[in-house]
Amino acid sequence: MTRFPLSRRRLLTSTALLLASAGLPARALAQDGKRLVVAADSEPKNLNPAIVASNGVFFIASKVIEPLAEASFAGPDGLEPRLATAWEGSADGRSVTFTLREGVTWHDRKPFTSADVAFSALEVWKKLQNLGRLVFANLEAVETPDERTAVFKFSVPTPFQLIRNALPVVTSVLPRHLYEGTDIEANPANASLVGTGPFKFAEHKPGEYYRLEKNQDYWGEGQPKLDEIVFRVLPDRAAAAGALEADEIQLAAFSQVPLADLERISKVEGIEVYSKGYEALTYQLVVEINHRRKELADLKVRQAIAHAIDRDFVVKTIFLGYAVPSTGIVPKNAPEFYEAGVTTYAFDPARANALLDEAGYKRAGNGTRFSLKLLPAPYFSETRQFGDYLRQALAAIGIDAEIVNNDAAAHQKAVYTDHDFDLAVAPPVFRGDPAISTTILVKGGVPAGVPFSNQGGYANPAIDEIIEKANKTVDVAARTDLFRQFQKLVAEDLPLINVAEWGFITVARTSVKNVSSNPRWAVSNWADTDLES
Amino acid sequence: MRPVRQFLRSPEGVAGLLMIVLLATAALTAPVVFPGDPLAIRGPALLPPFADAAFPLGTDRLGRDVLAGLMHGARASLAVGIAAASVAIFVGALVGTLAGFAGGLVDEALMRVVDAFQIVPGFLLALAFVSVSGASLPVVILAIALGAWTGPARLARAEVLSIRERDYVAAARVIGMHPMEIALREVLPNALPPVLALSSVIVAGAVLTEAALSFLGLGDPNIVTWGSMIAEGRNVLRSAPFLSIIPGIGLVVAVLGVYLLSEGLSEAIAGRRSRA
Repeated sequence: MTRFPLSRRRLLTSTALLLASAGLPARALAQDGKRLVVAADSEPKNLNPAIVASNGVFFIASKVIEPLAEASFAGPDGLEPRLATAWEGSADGRSVTFTLREGVTWHDRKPFTSADVAFSALEVWKKLQNLGRLVFANLEAVETPDERTAVFKFSVPTPFQLIRNALPVVTSVLPRHLYEGTDIEANPANASLVGTGPFKFAEHKPGEYYRLEKNQDYWGEGQPKLDEIVFRVLPDRAAAAGALEADEIQLAAFSQVPLADLERISKVEGIEVYSKGYEALTYQLVVEINHRRKELADLKVRQAIAHAIDRDFVVKTIFLGYAVPSTGIVPKNAPEFYEAGVTTYAFDPARANALLDEAGYKRAGNGTRFSLKLLPAPYFSETRQFGDYLRQALAAIGIDAEIVNNDAAAHQKAVYTDHDFDLAVAPPVFRGDPAISTTILVKGGVPAGVPFSNQGGYANPAIDEIIEKANKTVDVAARTDLFRQFQKLVAEDLPLINVAEWGFITVARTSVKNVSSNPRWAVSNWADTDLES
Repeated sequence: MRPVRQFLRSPEGVAGLLMIVLLATAALTAPVVFPGDPLAIRGPALLPPFADAAFPLGTDRLGRDVLAGLMHGARASLAVGIAAASVAIFVGALVGTLAGFAGGLVDEALMRVVDAFQIVPGFLLALAFVSVSGASLPVVILAIALGAWTGPARLARAEVLSIRERDYVAAARVIGMHPMEIALREVLPNALPPVLALSSVIVAGAVLTEAALSFLGLGDPNIVTWGSMIAEGRNVLRSAPFLSIIPGIGLVVAVLGVYLLSEGLSEAIAGRRSRA
């Protein structure tokens, strides 16, 4: 029998070894040091930004798959180059020429060429993408005279202004060699992305995290600065603040930290609150109106509702100052189009009551004029809170609003398919050009089932005509002018009521550098984002 | 009078009684003390408790009076609790009595239905029911009763099985009473007391289920309930914890009060304390 002498030294070394081995996995993961852990509140099933152009997808996918151009604070026309280095529209509006970047390779080391752009535009953006279907509706062909040039040909004059404004959102380029000849919507690369971006898609553990790795061959010199980005799934919004304070995550975007917590957390050592970086992602707080209700078809009633809403209260109490009151359907953040000279509706309950009396809806014995069904969108706590507020504001002018709460799917079905609402609270996004996702909120004849569109049965030939005309006007000044008229008409006729507009808030550890450096920062590629140890 | 004296001598019973009286008073006087909609916005937002005499318990995110919400919430909670328990006991006792008295195939069939309901967790059942039929007070009451009626049904059946063999039931049969009449007029009243003893458990459970449903946003959004108050307060838990704690205390008092009261009552009736 062998003896096993237990000396103090042996005990110490073996204990040390045991401890070291227990610590190994954690150190192996963090060996490169610069790993940014970010809170993610949703796990999109389809991660392909060329098909699903939505912020939830961009938040993760934009680091892997890049657009032709990105929004910029300083660049000409508010853009800076990504995969394209130059773009130019022809005078007749029938073609747009893109010059593409040289020396770009896909993550699987195949070269990036104009054929990839042509394929993405014709087969994906135009046919499958939620927004691209609109922007590229008349795209006929994409000519590729050489590997660095792509010429988009349109069958009818298409405003270059629209294409340009849409570039950051609709032009995520996919690798043709992986998608051609396959069922694009079912391609495995939709879940395990391959792109040209500064980060490569590494893995996704459902319910836990997405991991992105540094792309060593990225075209940007000295970029990316980070070695790894981990999107940790934290569906509970209240948890993000605690995780930031404990330095478990270094960044929480899209107001994952509740607004009510910002004042407290901004005072915590080592944490910074950014309200910049969402200028091109302005959300609008809107009251959607079902014009099929005879009361709401009456302009005076709609004006009364507009007068009943205290926009300052909404901004100060619900958004805690992180929003601005709206004047119309185009937000102030879009100076290219914004028109200040529209009909406005000041908070004036007395005037609202008078308007309702004029319209012939007198208060009954219990003080109520009529009852409505109000459906607040469930996506944000602010939209739900505004629903609670609106119910009270309407009660003050004798309208009894009954709130109906639904989950996201049921809400979309009730409002945009079944039209089972009188008023709804919606948070549409302004995407850089009114033609992309704003005009559809008031345009007549949108078929039922199209989400975030005019499903209130509203139709105004004058407004429809302007929208049509703007879609064909190539001249920038003339087109801009049409949209200014459009805003005036909408504010006058109130197909919907714009209440406030807001961007989100990013909260990050001070160790994270170059945060909020462009107007779509949270959904941009983060190539220059750095982490100071 | 002996049971009353017995009851007054048990400390838990008295404590429970006080809590329930307190809540009942709050619930009954709420419309008088705070007329109008308790969800109305009345003051500055996020006022802490005891800072302003006009809002002794402070205000929430939108400036709604927390005390008004608490008192009106007591109404909703107690109403839902009592209504759900009544429905559950009524249905349960009826089904249990019929099953026990009829026996045979009817018994088998009814008891398998009870089994079917019992194997699904009550809260899940309520959740599914409310999300399908839309949130409103009657729906919430029904949804809670849906998961709570099986207990009374099983208990009633067990009682009936023993009662139906008694002489007075045989006598009723002999004088030619209709079986239905015997079941409902002779058997059911005698089977009821032990079933009623279950009521406190069901009320307490119903109050909690209602709060949980409201917390998940499945309560009626047009009335104030403790669950919805806690859910709203959760967003500002770090900066204004009182918004969740105050209705939470309300819940604790309600559930504890109902339990203690029933404990005291059952002890008084059984007279255990005097014998011990």
